[in-house]
Amino acid sequence: MHAEQDELIPLKVLIAGGFGVGKTTLVRSLSEIPPLLTEQAMTAASIGIDDADAVPDKRTTTVAMDFGRITVDESLILYLFGTPGQSRFWFMWDELARGSVGAVVMVDLRRVDDCFPAIDYFENRRLPFVVGVNRFPGADDYDEETVRDALALPADCPLVWMDARDAESSSSALVTLVEHALARTAVAG
Amino acid sequence: MEYPDPDGAGPVRGGRVVPVYALTGGRTRSGAGRDMPVETLVTVTSAGGRTNDLQLEYRTTVELAARPISIVEIGAALGVPVGVARVLVSDLVDAGHLAVHLPPQTVGGGGPAPQILERLLEGLRAR
Repeated sequence: MHAEQDELIPLKVLIAGGFGVGKTTLVRSLSEIPPLLTEQAMTAASIGIDDADAVPDKRTTTVAMDFGRITVDESLILYLFGTPGQSRFWFMWDELARGSVGAVVMVDLRRVDDCFPAIDYFENRRLPFVVGVNRFPGADDYDEETVRDALALPADCPLVWMDARDAESSSSALVTLVEHALARTAVAG
Repeated sequence: MEYPDPDGAGPVRGGRVVPVYALTGGRTRSGAGRDMPVETLVTVTSAGGRTNDLQLEYRTTVELAARPISIVEIGAALGVPVGVARVLVSDLVDAGHLAVHLPPQTVGGGGPAPQILERLLEGLRAR
C-alpha cells in the first residue's frame, strides 16, 4: 500500500497569526522536540516594501522563526514553522509556503485584525488553511457565525476552537488542516 | 519583529575560531541547481561516517545526520543561519558523506499528493 515506505519524506505546515497569539505555544504543544529557533534569510521583492527601516536598501533580510518536528511514521517527518506575525514580512513567505501542506492561522478574538494579513496571504495563494481561535481566559465568547463574518472566511474554510497549550486540542486543529488539504486535492481533481 | 524564546535549545559551539561564514567561503547559497528547501532531510551515506579529516562544523553535521534530520534543524543545532547549513550540507553531499531526501513533488502547483496527505492524516490520528 505504501509503495515507497522507506523513502524519507519531509513535509511542512505553517503556523501563522499575529504577534502573541500563541504560535510558539502551539508549536511547543505539537512538537516532539523543544521549539528551536532558526534564522532565515528572506529574499525581499524590490517593490511593495512599505517600511524602509525593516529592509534597508538590500534584497534580503534575516527573519527569526521557531519550528518543531513530528515524526509521523518511520519515514514521514512533519515540520511546523511558526511564522513572524507582522504583516510587512508576509511577502517574503513564498519560499517557506511552497510545497507546504497548508497553514493553521491562529486568531485571538480580542485582536482579530492581527490575523487578516495571514488569511489574505493564504487565500490569495490558494493554500489550504484552517483558522484556529485560540481561547484566552477572559476573552468573550462568540458563536461560529459571528466569528466567520468578522473574519470574512470562505464557506469551505474550517474554523476550530482550540487551546494552544493543550496537545490534544492542538493536534485536533492539525488533523482538521490535513483533512481540509486532502479534500481540496479531491476537488482539484 | 517577533523573536520567540528558543527555550534553552542552545547552539552547539566549541572550538570554532573563525566565523562559519569563513568556513563556507562566504557562501550562503549552495551550488546552482541544487534547490533544497529548509525541511529537506539528510542522512549519512554508508561510506559517509568517516569524518576524521573534516572540520568541526562539517563533522558535527555528519554526526547530527546519524538519524534523519532537516537542514533547518542542522542550522539551529550549529547556531548558524539556515543558508549556511544548506551550504555545509551541499558540500557534504558533494563529498559523498550525506544523502538528501527532498520534499515530495507537489500536484498542480499546490501541496503534496493525496496519497501522502492520507498517510500524514493516518499518522497524526494515531498519535
